[in-house]
Amino acid sequence: MVSAALQICIVYYIVSLLDPYILSWQCINRPIVVAPLAGLVLGDFTTGVIMGAALESIFMGISAIGGSIPADATTASVIAVAYTILTGSDVEAGLAIALPIGTVMASLAGMLTPIWASLAAYWEKLAAKCNPKQFLLQTMLANLATPLVNTVILFFAVAYGVEGLNAFLASLPAWIMTGLSASSSMMIAVGFAILTSMIWNNEVGCFFFLGYVLVAYMNMSTLPIAIIGIVIAITMFFNEKRIIDLKNSLTNNAVAAADDEEEFF
Amino acid sequence: MEKRQINKEERKVLNSMFWRSHLVFNTFNMAKMQANGFTCTMAPAIETVYGDDMEGKREAYIRHNNFFNTHAVPFSFIAGLCYAMEREHKENGSIDGQTIESIKAALMGPTAGMFDSLFFNCLRIIAAGIGIGFCSEGNFIGTIIFILIYGATQSIAKYFLTYWGYEFGTAFIDRVFSSGLMEALSKAASVLGLMMVGAMTASMVSVPVTLTLNIGETSLVVNDVIQSIFPGLLGVLLLFLLVKLIKKGMRPTQLVLGILVFGMLGAFVGLF
Repeated sequence: MVSAALQICIVYYIVSLLDPYILSWQCINRPIVVAPLAGLVLGDFTTGVIMGAALESIFMGISAIGGSIPADATTASVIAVAYTILTGSDVEAGLAIALPIGTVMASLAGMLTPIWASLAAYWEKLAAKCNPKQFLLQTMLANLATPLVNTVILFFAVAYGVEGLNAFLASLPAWIMTGLSASSSMMIAVGFAILTSMIWNNEVGCFFFLGYVLVAYMNMSTLPIAIIGIVIAITMFFNEKRIIDLKNSLTNNAVAAADDEEEFF
Repeated sequence: MEKRQINKEERKVLNSMFWRSHLVFNTFNMAKMQANGFTCTMAPAIETVYGDDMEGKREAYIRHNNFFNTHAVPFSFIAGLCYAMEREHKENGSIDGQTIESIKAALMGPTAGMFDSLFFNCLRIIAAGIGIGFCSEGNFIGTIIFILIYGATQSIAKYFLTYWGYEFGTAFIDRVFSSGLMEALSKAASVLGLMMVGAMTASMVSVPVTLTLNIGETSLVVNDVIQSIFPGLLGVLLLFLLVKLIKKGMRPTQLVLGILVFGMLGAFVGLF
């Protein structure tokens, strides 16, 4: 069991490092790719492929939208395949445990988000040092650490059973999980605050609230808001243009008038 | 708009940017999301444009290490566009850093929406549909088809979008700059940028208060009251509090740790 767990962890680690961190496709880490690979390692390729199809249909609809990293379908697929092949149980039993595991793993990974977020300031300082090679090297090393946490959890789950994992999570006081998820939803505000303080302009700052209200009250998606924004921006652009033209023509006239006077005298 | 020929040096930079634009999720985090991926992608452009100008280089690196989040494919387009804008910023100084920032902010929301519908909600479903068909019969070709349709196409699209972003940016800037309207453009860009930041704040930032006050027989759900006054009021207040703290010189680490402590304490006393 332990050596099988090790093998599967290596596959999982490579896959989750490759995608999204190196390829950014969010494709190699989908169940339809991961499950066959897990099957291959555990010696039952066909079961892996078939489970891949089933797992992909389960997880197809469950994913975050908007450029964020999707819920943990990868770990769930690996565990489901491992469970089925290693315990020799039928495919349905393996599939049945996939979804709860996906949720458990996502919440475990969620516990670490504040730590990665607190590194953001360090990255900014590093970026300011103007050493792109160093920046690339250090960020890539940090990427090596990120999937490692899930890999270790995965190892224990496969080697010693999923029940222990569930028991551990259940034994945690509830406020730890709520606190962590509450703080990570508030942490996005830090990024937005930095951005807002960079582009803030008192003259047009009120437009922030226009965008805000369109989402908060009208539930509009970003594309229609962008179109409204573009309409306003174009109107404003041509107004400014008219003012600039007017200013230029006034100064030109003044210069021309001054020339006339000089000629006159 | 006349199409400008891309010279050898620019081609080298753009190719390098294309390869690096695969690092979108490089040290992805909740505070700045894809900022580090963007910095890595912009590095070849910044190095070429600024050369020995250390001060300008430093500013550009900080500028492109700000919060960024979009779909992985238009990421390349925005990077190409930023290359064009940074070049203009250095060579003619007609675009200021704030305008570059505003244009980036304005583009990330709508491009994410557009390409999510295109790749994530359309192409992925098609690819998975075909792939699942083969795989459920135990045929591994389904997996390969899935990778080709949903994965490889993203890289192809990224390649063209990197170039397209740069060409479009250059042509657009030339036209605006030659007519002397940069000032007007930067104002229009900040309107659009602020509007999109407002929209994204409304959809992404939340202060999940679940506190319920029990007053005698009646119970009062605090969040419902706040929502009925102004939806997401606490999120906006949090954002502007943070803006104020940043202007006072607080460092992002302090803010992130402060939020963490606040979140844990709040959860402990039952606020969340």
